[in-house]
Amino acid sequence: MHNQYRNDEARVNVTYAGQNGDLPDSVYTHASDGDIRAWATEAVRNGSIPGIRPSPSATFHGFVVDRFRATRDRPYNLIQLRPKTPFG
Amino acid sequence: MTKNITVVGVGALGSHVVQFLRSEDVAIRAIDFDRVEQKNVYSQFHSKPGVGKKKVASLAQSMQMLFGAKIKTISHKLSKDNQDALLGGDLVIDCLDNATSRSLVQEWVRKHNVPCLHGALAPDGSFGRVVWDENFAIDSEGEPGSATCESGEFLPFIAITSAYLARAAQEFFLDNRRVGYEVSPSGATKT
Repeated sequence: MHNQYRNDEARVNVTYAGQNGDLPDSVYTHASDGDIRAWATEAVRNGSIPGIRPSPSATFHGFVVDRFRATRDRPYNLIQLRPKTPFG
Repeated sequence: MTKNITVVGVGALGSHVVQFLRSEDVAIRAIDFDRVEQKNVYSQFHSKPGVGKKKVASLAQSMQMLFGAKIKTISHKLSKDNQDALLGGDLVIDCLDNATSRSLVQEWVRKHNVPCLHGALAPDGSFGRVVWDENFAIDSEGEPGSATCESGEFLPFIAITSAYLARAAQEFFLDNRRVGYEVSPSGATKT
């Protein structure tokens, strides 16, 4: 495990309006999808995610929460909040 | 040894991934029932002479003419009845644009234990995913009339996401690693 994250923690990566960044703090891996959306909404509205411009009207309705366990290449748990991707 | 790859759907991501794999030691089988429309020329690896032709035929012609590369083509719509005949190989790459067909691919590769990469794009062209099947959940489609990332402004991003699809296939054949990517305009994250 990367020493920045514990086994029960995850990095949260957010994609919004073509921009991408991480929540400043890790979260517990058992946080609910609703919690992830709420924290991301607050963070994007406040402008506290490096890489994502502040957006006072940001909303994550319809966004998807993906959860990835740590791997050899990425030695920490990852939670990703992203737009739907129906096209190919 | 030559690897067999089946690419299902040769629209936005699928057409580009075929040409990005042209230098690999692979035999490509492309499946798509659709025809090339003028608008496809703006964002897909289809050319003006291909407009009106079956996408697989247009792609095969471009690959032969530009690179001297041959691909096998199947111009049928994937269905429950033909999935055993159409799908197969050492790797399946799903670049379809609807949940129903994606679920047919997912069902088949899981049943037959065939490695499968899924490529997926957000409707506004702001986000792309390259996901191995074991991590892939099929997203529902958007509302009728919503964006479909078809305009030419999305071409660079579509091509970048396709390149990551091809890269993931390369890594898999190189040392059996299953690396996925989340792609945004600011860069890509391994998953």
